[in-house]
Amino acid sequence: MASATQEKPPAVRSAEEERLLALRRRDTRSKWFWRIAGYVVFLAVWSLISRIVGENLIPSPARIIETFPQLIETGRFFTSFAATLTRIGIGFGLSFLIGISLGIFTQSRWLDAFFKDAVTISLVSPSLIWALTGLVIWGFEPQGWIFAIVLTTFALVTVNVAEGIRALPKDLIDMSRAFGVSNGRRQREIVFPFLAPFIFTALRFGFSVGWKVTVLTEVFSSNEGIGFEMRVASQLFRMDELFTWALSFFVFALFLEKAVLQRYERRFFRWRAEVGT
Amino acid sequence: MTTLVTKAPTRDQGPMRVLKSPATARILFPIVVLAIWYIVYFTIDSRIFPSPQRVLVFMWEEVTLTSGVRYSSVAENLYVQFAISLVRLTIGFVAAMIVGTIVGLAMGISKAADAFFHDWVMGVLAMPALVFALFLGLALGHGHLAPIIAVFAAGAPFVIINVREGVRNTPKELFDMARSFDVPQNKITRHVLIPSLMPFFFAAIRYAYAIGWKGLVITEVFASDRGMGWTIKFWYDANRAHGVIGYALFFIIFALALEKLVFDPLSARAFKWRPKIDAVQMVEGDFGAAPSESFLQQEGQVQEQVSIESTEG
Repeated sequence: MASATQEKPPAVRSAEEERLLALRRRDTRSKWFWRIAGYVVFLAVWSLISRIVGENLIPSPARIIETFPQLIETGRFFTSFAATLTRIGIGFGLSFLIGISLGIFTQSRWLDAFFKDAVTISLVSPSLIWALTGLVIWGFEPQGWIFAIVLTTFALVTVNVAEGIRALPKDLIDMSRAFGVSNGRRQREIVFPFLAPFIFTALRFGFSVGWKVTVLTEVFSSNEGIGFEMRVASQLFRMDELFTWALSFFVFALFLEKAVLQRYERRFFRWRAEVGT
Repeated sequence: MTTLVTKAPTRDQGPMRVLKSPATARILFPIVVLAIWYIVYFTIDSRIFPSPQRVLVFMWEEVTLTSGVRYSSVAENLYVQFAISLVRLTIGFVAAMIVGTIVGLAMGISKAADAFFHDWVMGVLAMPALVFALFLGLALGHGHLAPIIAVFAAGAPFVIINVREGVRNTPKELFDMARSFDVPQNKITRHVLIPSLMPFFFAAIRYAYAIGWKGLVITEVFASDRGMGWTIKFWYDANRAHGVIGYALFFIIFALALEKLVFDPLSARAFKWRPKIDAVQMVEGDFGAAPSESFLQQEGQVQEQVSIESTEG
């Protein structure tokens, strides 16, 4: 009987609820209207500009869509993607591990102070200087671009992990100390599980910068990959190819960042409602 | 009982204490870096890898303008290149602030404007500076316009997002109260709207400047024939590692000076009226969680995180 009365209200909505629902629906509709209007206007302006200054200088969106299958036909498309992703995997993977370690080190004041300036310098300096420095020292050797990717991205990871360290529940640490739990076990069983969501945020932020610096290093020191293809296209003055290479990887990276990583990040955060929302 | 006494924290005396202090660690860092540099210098199989003193000599020559004699191919000296870059940065930055504030305000106030611009702003925000650099270099040639537009394109989305967030975070109750007590509009603007926008605006300035600078140097490499980015590329092309590393150090010094001498005092002044939140949360004790100013960008980082996170939510 009780369940019947509970199920009833949704069937018969009050006028107030009806009104609110209609309002929300109208809100969504107007939001989508303006969103689509935004796409239409921006794409139209882009096409117009390319019509005025010429397709060869600024390729129109239609031209880019035409070029895309042509690039796939050349066969370089997937090998370039694979090459760039391998670089990101090696360079940023290493940087991620270093960044997490340094973040965990901030628990100790001494290590925190030791690495403080390194993190600051990495945060404020442009990726270009690391790319060129690595390149001039090591040439096309992998050390050169690994050096550049690590020095550009590790601090972003560290800062996010350190943020998690700052939020560590002090009472748990104190208690584990009082009961003489060893440092290693404390790190493994309290610090690390607590940090997991922060590490995921760090991964997403680091990746968003990491793929850009990887492409930059490819421009200077590679003979395959997206960055290399972009350089070739720009040197041959093939604007349509330049745009297509850039946009296709851009869309791919955005998809990884927003759709894949962010979704998993939400899942990680779910157990801590107050942080997730 | 006895075990407790032996385990009680004891202050280290004499040299151990000095060695264990964070200040020592901080001083130790550059020494360790220098040591690693020397180790690499003596072990690497490279003819151009410079020693630290070589780089220092180069930097000194650049600062005192005595290197021009030896490398006469450099068109302009350090100061002129820096000035060119700074002027470009400032023009692009001001344009980004103006346009960004207008669009950001519109997006914060109107839901329609928000839906209209949102995806495109996020798109430009995520676009690598390299793409702008390559494209603008070909489209506009090696003049002043390409770097300025690159700075604008890199900085404007940050301003837009932060200003929008600021508008959304204005305390509604304060407005309602001010209105019910018949406070004149200009007073509301001055005492409620601007102070509550301030932190976001400040984050916008700081980030637009930093991101703009990073975008600028990349653009100067590909789309300019002068400026700091071009100069470091010049030394790279000349295969002079000491030149590249020397200029990289100039970049770092400049960025650090900007943070420490301009933005930190500015933010301290701008937020003097606000109680320090970090001070309350700071964890004390020998388990040293990072002190509040541990990473100077932390506040901004959180700010950025907040603003970016909430745009997707």
